Amino acid sequence: MRRLLSHRHAPALLFAAALTLPFVARAIEFSFLTRVGGVVGLMMLLSLGLNMTLGYVGLFDLGFIAFYAVGAYGTAILMRAHVPAPLAAALAVAAALAMRALLGVTILRLRGDYLAVVTMGFGEIARLTLNNLDAWTNGPKGLQVRPWRPLAFLGAIPGLEFVRKESNVQFYFLIAAAVYLAAEASRRLENSRVGRAWVAIREDETAAQLSGIPVARYKLLAFTLSAAFAGLAGSLFALWDQFVTPESFVFWESTLLVAIVVLGGMGSISGVLLGALLLGGIPLLMEATLSPRLIDYRYLFFGLILVLMTLFRPQGLLPSARREAELSS
Amino acid sequence: MSAPLLSVEDLSQHFGGLKAVEGVTLSVSRGEIVSVIGPNGAGKTTFFNVLTGVYPGTRGRVSFDGEPIRGLAPHEIVARGVSRTFQNIRLFADMSAAENVMVGRHARTRQLLLGPLLRTKAFLEEEKAVEARAVELLDFVGLRSLGNERARNLPYGAQRRLEIARALAAEPKLLILDEPTAGMNPVESAELVSLVRRVRERGVTVLLIEHQMRVVLDVSDRVAVFDYGVKIAEGAPRAVMADPRVIEAYLGREGA
Ligand SMILES: Nc1ncnc2c1ncn2[C@@H]1O[C@H](COP(=O)(O)OP(=O)(O)OP(=O)(O)O)[C@@H](O)[C@H]1O
Ligand SMILES: [Mg+2]
Repeated sequence: MRRLLSHRHAPALLFAAALTLPFVARAIEFSFLTRVGGVVGLMMLLSLGLNMTLGYVGLFDLGFIAFYAVGAYGTAILMRAHVPAPLAAALAVAAALAMRALLGVTILRLRGDYLAVVTMGFGEIARLTLNNLDAWTNGPKGLQVRPWRPLAFLGAIPGLEFVRKESNVQFYFLIAAAVYLAAEASRRLENSRVGRAWVAIREDETAAQLSGIPVARYKLLAFTLSAAFAGLAGSLFALWDQFVTPESFVFWESTLLVAIVVLGGMGSISGVLLGALLLGGIPLLMEATLSPRLIDYRYLFFGLILVLMTLFRPQGLLPSARREAELSS
Repeated sequence: MSAPLLSVEDLSQHFGGLKAVEGVTLSVSRGEIVSVIGPNGAGKTTFFNVLTGVYPGTRGRVSFDGEPIRGLAPHEIVARGVSRTFQNIRLFADMSAAENVMVGRHARTRQLLLGPLLRTKAFLEEEKAVEARAVELLDFVGLRSLGNERARNLPYGAQRRLEIARALAAEPKLLILDEPTAGMNPVESAELVSLVRRVRERGVTVLLIEHQMRVVLDVSDRVAVFDYGVKIAEGAPRAVMADPRVIEAYLGREGA
């Protein structure tokens, strides 16, 4: 497994394989699978974002979902103001980045548990604000977003005619591309001066500082950048579902993201993607196939998995591999 | 040329009522190896912590290479050419040995986000140079073959040497070592003495805290003795060790 995943072409091959999902779903007449795939993809984007702060730098963030909300609501509000969808998405991502930077400047002096508590509070405040800021967000009733079909042109290709009408398929492709780019961007940063500085801070903040790293600045950088992935995920979510409500941005979602990063392996891109696939995908498939009574047990199921993981495999399912240096010459 | 590389004047660091460092004056010339010795709790590590920006200092002046540095942030002091190791080893445990050294290169490199994201030529060249420098330094401290091991898996003596390689990666003019032989056997200590000499041959000045008298005698050009936060003696190694005040500081404490 390890060898396969660290192979140079593995990411491209996995991406190509993922692109076949809508065709498989069509062939087995289970089109819900494509929708599950899209939702898992959004989870992957969010988890890659959280991985940047929690995974690389070790900053505990229990309110990450708030920036998913900023992306979603930002896009929804702009779409209602007749801004073209791609521009709305870009502006929403910028808003998520800006708010995240502002929050970071204020709270990043806090450490460990304190940071976790404050980010959790921020997440809840964000949700309550969406609930109560009726003039902008229409409160708990939510906002409708006008339809946008990003890849309708694919319908012109012989064999892909069905894509023209199916927004699930179009968004699935779009989300898959976003996940691929986000994973690639993470990988490039990880193996660079910035990524090394982040991991060094996680490993020993004092030693990092005394090795020449301006720790506060690098924490803020990771904290801020992570919101780009969350904002993009939120934006895609709003455009896809054409509807946003505060319901979607509850504390449980933030917790789930932390669980994904911890389960997969802190700072491990492949681990985090696998974690999102398992913790994001399995419950949805359970929902579709099992009785609702069993679904109620899923929290218990997650709790159990996390306890077992911390006991027996604290480094995660696919712990991050370190880059090998060229030692002979 | 005769201006000292490091010059400390009347430096103090108090913690509430505790005078951990009190009125210390010390200068270190280019190319020297100077040892700081003294009983446990004498304030040696605290002194180093003020020099490297961990604590701000309560009073006094520290100038390095002709410029005041007291109160600067640690990363700014590293950028000016002071690097250090720690009494209790502080490596990036989950990173490889080579990566630890590459992190040490931070202050001497530039690439931020766009370079790695677009994999620009400048980025690729810098990465290559960083890696080459890491390999060279691993070689220098005798750890080349262990470069891809995670730091946490290295033997104890190797971890101490890796810390030195990481510190050297920042191209310091002054290398500060806090008890580099702590926990080492006599053979490893002797190797460390020769490593410190080779560091000096690279043109790096060395200031170290040392408890093993054998090492102090072997390696130092000059010795400063601390007791209760105060510098009680300074001079050539053998002369200092024969100084009655120094003997009393050690024996007095041991007798207590
Ligand atoms: N951050 C701090 N806050 C309060 N007191 C401190 C702090 N750091 C050090 N001290 C105190 O300052 C005194 C000097 O400690 P320091 O660690 O500098 O001694 P040392 O000479 O390095 O001793 P050793 O040989 O045991 O390493 C001790 O009494 C110590 O408890
Ligand atoms: Mg000490």
